[in-house]
Amino acid sequence: MPNVFNRREFLSATTALGAAAMIPAGPAQAASGELSVWKFGGTTAEVETWAARNDGFTAANPDVGLNYSYFNGQIRRQKLLAGFQTNRLADVVIAFGQDIPEFAGFGMIQPLDDIAGDRMAGWKERLVPEVMASGMHDGKLYGLPTYVDMASFLAINTDAMAEAGFDRPPETWSEVREYAKAMTKPDRPGIAFPATTAPVDINIFEGIAYANGGRVFDESTGKVTLNGPGMTDALQLYVDLIADGSTPPPTSLTETFFRDTAQLFAQGRSAMWIGLSWLNTPWGTPEGLNWTGVPFPRPDTVTGKFPPVSAIMDPTAILMVSSRAKNPEAAVEYIDFWSQNDQLKIWGGNPEIARIPAGKVAWGEAGLAEAWPNWVSSYEAGTLFQGAEPMPRFIGVSAVENALGTALQEAVLGQKTAQQALDDATAAAQAQIDLLRG
Amino acid sequence: MNNRSDRWLAYFMILPVVAAVLAFVIGPTWDVGKLSLTQVVMGMERGFGTLDNFRALAADPLFALVVKNTAIWIIGGTILCVLVGLAVGAYLAIDSWQTTILRALILLPWVIPDVVTAMAWKWMLHGQVGIIGSTIQAAGLTDEQVSFLGDPSLVMWTLVVVLIWRKMPLVALILCAAIRSVPSEQIEAARMDGANAFERFRFVVIPNIAFSLTAVTVISMIWITAEFALPWIMTGGGPANASQIMSTYIYQQSFEFFNWGVASAMSVVNLVMLMLIIALYLYVNRRSWASGADK
Repeated sequence: MPNVFNRREFLSATTALGAAAMIPAGPAQAASGELSVWKFGGTTAEVETWAARNDGFTAANPDVGLNYSYFNGQIRRQKLLAGFQTNRLADVVIAFGQDIPEFAGFGMIQPLDDIAGDRMAGWKERLVPEVMASGMHDGKLYGLPTYVDMASFLAINTDAMAEAGFDRPPETWSEVREYAKAMTKPDRPGIAFPATTAPVDINIFEGIAYANGGRVFDESTGKVTLNGPGMTDALQLYVDLIADGSTPPPTSLTETFFRDTAQLFAQGRSAMWIGLSWLNTPWGTPEGLNWTGVPFPRPDTVTGKFPPVSAIMDPTAILMVSSRAKNPEAAVEYIDFWSQNDQLKIWGGNPEIARIPAGKVAWGEAGLAEAWPNWVSSYEAGTLFQGAEPMPRFIGVSAVENALGTALQEAVLGQKTAQQALDDATAAAQAQIDLLRG
Repeated sequence: MNNRSDRWLAYFMILPVVAAVLAFVIGPTWDVGKLSLTQVVMGMERGFGTLDNFRALAADPLFALVVKNTAIWIIGGTILCVLVGLAVGAYLAIDSWQTTILRALILLPWVIPDVVTAMAWKWMLHGQVGIIGSTIQAAGLTDEQVSFLGDPSLVMWTLVVVLIWRKMPLVALILCAAIRSVPSEQIEAARMDGANAFERFRFVVIPNIAFSLTAVTVISMIWITAEFALPWIMTGGGPANASQIMSTYIYQQSFEFFNWGVASAMSVVNLVMLMLIIALYLYVNRRSWASGADK
């Protein structure tokens, strides 16, 4: 068979094809109306509703081309960092409040005060002030929260509680130990708590420790304070619960993160579990399981040096604007859309019952009152956020929380005492902080 | 056709690969090397030409444990992966209807996505509801259900077992193909000379597949070094850093702590260690490597 091409023709043709492929297809039409949004995390109900409500935004703003993407909350730092480094960060980022100081410090996000000053009055009118304050950093509003999660809470199987002879949930740490012991059966531990290094598991522990006057970091001195008495005694509570024989084996606690712990509780494999405010609501519980959720009991005596908190909270779907936003006007429009009552009602129990809503309007919704009557009555009495503080947030928070997670595991596994584990964690975290902050 | 023209055609044909290697391998490696010698403060580069990142690494009490775990992961994983792969490959090289079916089925672990593999194994190994621990307990081998991923003394080797399950099939298939290509006359001659099955394998098959064996060992080592999803999803480096390896620690330093300088320094150390191990291995096996290349 004769050659169709000779060598010269082949080389010329492939070179031409290669060169043609390298020619850009014309500048990307970065139209002024293009708006990219990245959302991280959220329950299934929230994620589905969020995407659906975006249609409302595009209908109301036909000149804005919305490019919305959803990602798992666990990869947000990696994704955002990569986007920032490659100059491909979305205009609007919906991430966690704990990220704000680092993102602001690295110049990844910009204060909303600077670009949305005229919208502030409306936002203040529609949002619960304490929740809105969770978007503040250094006196400026960096993000608009749609809800917060609080730590720490206790889910209780009420049948198991009644069976053990109790008619009300525990109220102090010593009562937690007493209840857990009494509710333990050979095939069902009285209490379980997640002890992996997942950030939520650490937040759950921090909620307990902060209520005991503990803190992970003192911003005024720049010192890590993991080994203070407030933190150490809280960790000792975990160790004591294990020593009482009221928990699953410690090796199992360190491999079971919050969602799995919730599911094991739903399957009747523990009588109580310690979690964030949403407890089992994102996944539901089987028919016939009677349970209730209460704030985690208080310490018998506060031992920490810092003021004890009633809870710590963080907005885990807070809308922020990238410092490199190509279309800040559309970004502000999008944030304003999500500050409207129609959107804020989503967290009023229909469809989402797992969160503590940011919108004042959501607190008047029947769905929320039905799911969380105690929250609503506390909110109406003005006590829900009393004594609550933000979850730890500062530059280097991940390094400190990771060191805390390691200490938690070392103490739970019995490798070190609570004090030794936290002393080591303090040294390790301080080294990381110093490195990061120069 | 002339030789000069052939040479230009050859250069032209490899040009895309060279460009891709420069863009996606050499370029990023150069950047990582540069970043490892740069002080990074608050996410900003503040001066090139410092060894601070390497000093910080040396002072990190966790780094020694990470190196030890990485050695178990890479060296233990590679040796076991190749040994098991060789045994399975030798079995698959036998002609029978069972091996014909198995040759297709064995690729299943390879085609399942990393995340699915990790989650499935995580639950099978779980200390409360895992089927493996409960089976061992039901068989009376343990008093309590073992938590393979929650026990610091077991977790690293448990990960290696899962790694072998995942990576071994392709190694087995490559070695199976190599074994099947060994000339039957040589095996037959050895048999006639009185060599038993082990001796035929050791002195006829192994020398014939030495090139494939070396290549597959090096490739496995690189695969295993680069493996991140499996250990990260299954343990996140825990419990208490008992399964923290280079890839997970680099990820943690980069994307959780934003310590890019230290992460880059660790990547450089990782690269140098891997190059040294592979160079040593190739040197030890230089004869088989060279003879295979000649072929």
